[in-house]
This record gives sequence, C-alpha cells and structure tokens, in this order.
Amino acid sequence: MSLPEKTHPQFSHPVEEEFARILDYYGIEWEYEPRTFPLQWDEQGNVTEAFTPDFYFPQQELYVELTTLRPSLTTHKNRKLRRMQELYPDIHVKLFKRREMRNLMVKYGLQQAAARIQGTDAQENS
Amino acid sequence: MDEPDPIHRWSITLSRAMGSLGEEIAVLVAGQLNYRIVRQELINMAARQSGHPEVALAEIDDLGLLNISPGPQVTRAYQHALAQLMLAEAEHGGCIIIGRAGQVILRTSPTTLHLRVTAPFDLRVERIAERMGIAHAAAQERVKATDHNRQYYVRRYYHSHWDDPNQYDLVLNTARLGTRQAADMIGAALRARVR
Repeated sequence: MSLPEKTHPQFSHPVEEEFARILDYYGIEWEYEPRTFPLQWDEQGNVTEAFTPDFYFPQQELYVELTTLRPSLTTHKNRKLRRMQELYPDIHVKLFKRREMRNLMVKYGLQQAAARIQGTDAQENS
Repeated sequence: MDEPDPIHRWSITLSRAMGSLGEEIAVLVAGQLNYRIVRQELINMAARQSGHPEVALAEIDDLGLLNISPGPQVTRAYQHALAQLMLAEAEHGGCIIIGRAGQVILRTSPTTLHLRVTAPFDLRVERIAERMGIAHAAAQERVKATDHNRQYYVRRYYHSHWDDPNQYDLVLNTARLGTRQAADMIGAALRARVR
C-alpha cells in the first residue's frame, strides 16, 4: 500500500475519506469542511440556509464539493452552488463526481484504498 | 564586495521519466548549486492566475484518479499563465524547473540548461514497485500511464516529442549511473556552459 497513512478527521462519507487519501498520494494540501457560507437569511437576519463545501485546497485556493448522487438527484446541490456563485463570486467551488475511481485505484496498485470504497451509488446530500 | 556567482543567473529544466530517479537527482543538484526546485507551485500559481484553480488538480493528477478534464479555453489560459511564470523564474535564475515542458517553453533562453533523465522501462517499473511496495503489474500500469500522460502533454500543447534528444543539452540514463554521479555530471555541464 503506497498511500501515506495520516490522521484524518471524521468524514461524513467513505468517499470523502478515499478522496482525501488520493490527495495525500499526490501531496495536495487540504482541509476538511473549514468554512460555512451562509446562503439565505430570514427577516431577523438569521441564517436559514448555508453551504459547507467538503474540502478546501489552500495552495489552489479552491473549494471542492463531492457528490456520488445520480444526476436526477443533484438539483438541490446545483442550486446551492449557483447561489454560492452569486453571493461569493471570488470563491471558487468545484463539484466532483465519483466515476470509476475504484477501478483506477485497483489498476494502479491502490487496492486497500479501493476496498474501502463501499460501492454506494448515492450519497446523502450534504 | 564579492561578485555573485554567475551560475546563479542560470536555470535548469529537468524532464524525467517516472522511476528514472530524476527528482532525486534534482534534489542533489539543487543542494550542490544552491538552486531552488520549482515544481508544483508553478502549476498552482498558473492555475490561480488563469482563474481556473481546478486545472492544477488536473495537472497534478497524472494517473487520472480525479477525472478532471478542463476545456480548451481554460487550458489555453492556464498554459499562457504557466509560460509567463516559467519565463520569470528562468530570468530570475538559480532554479531547477521540473517537468511542465520547460525544455520547450525555455528553448530559446540563453541561460538555461535542458536535461533529460531516463532509464529502461523494466528498470523503472522495478524501482516503482519496490519504492511504493506494490505489485509488478500495478507498477507497470503506473509507469505506462505516467509516460503516456507526459508524452501526450508535450505533444498536444507544444507539438514536440518528449523523448527527442535534440531538445536537451544532456540526456542521462540512470541504468548504470548513480544519482550522485549524475548530479556531478550536471554540475560540471552547467559550469562548462557558464564559462
């Protein structure tokens, strides 16, 4: 196994953990859910909707949101991303879809990491 | 006051095949010449400057695990920013620029030495399998994929051939050459050029 072992935070989904291990393999510096962006407020100014991207890459100044949802279930997430862009135009957020990640990992000798991917097709929206 | 060593006005580009020990050699050369190594930070800066930071991930991901495919417009903006940053680094001098087709971008720079480090495929596979503790077949796939991606990058964006020796001042094969010997040869070649 060649992916470096490093202490990780408590991830809310196994896919996030695998993604973090790939980032470690490439030496990409990352932070997990470091910031929440308010998206909507009520009349009293209380936040009623917010968005917390899964990862932040400080060297690239990029936020990343992962999804393994089927395309038909991504409407809500896409709407949040559009709202993010309206309210925070200087913040870059990239949506990642998991595709064939496990097959690639097996092919390149990352079997243990691949085995940890649970094979779920749909991730609960976050 | 002492004159600054003219060698620090020069820069080096280093193209390496996976498993050729190119990066190890770069570290030794940098230590000997007191040069800095320029690698991933160039990619990150270029991607940020182009306004498409995700391109950096696509560039770093040479096994394709992240599945990122930037469009042609985004890629052009990134390539432009990368070339500008690389030219600035070379002009500043005292650096080893690893990868990113430096030998093509800086081909007309009069104060840049272009290096290529390689080794036979089977030996490179053997080194990767041992270093990463993975099966021979998986190491073979990794080396093949990385070779393919690097070759493709140079051909697609710079219409050039990665393994064309005419692009380099020095091509080193580490099959029988140790990293220390290779680093010494590079230092000697650079000093000869500077004189």
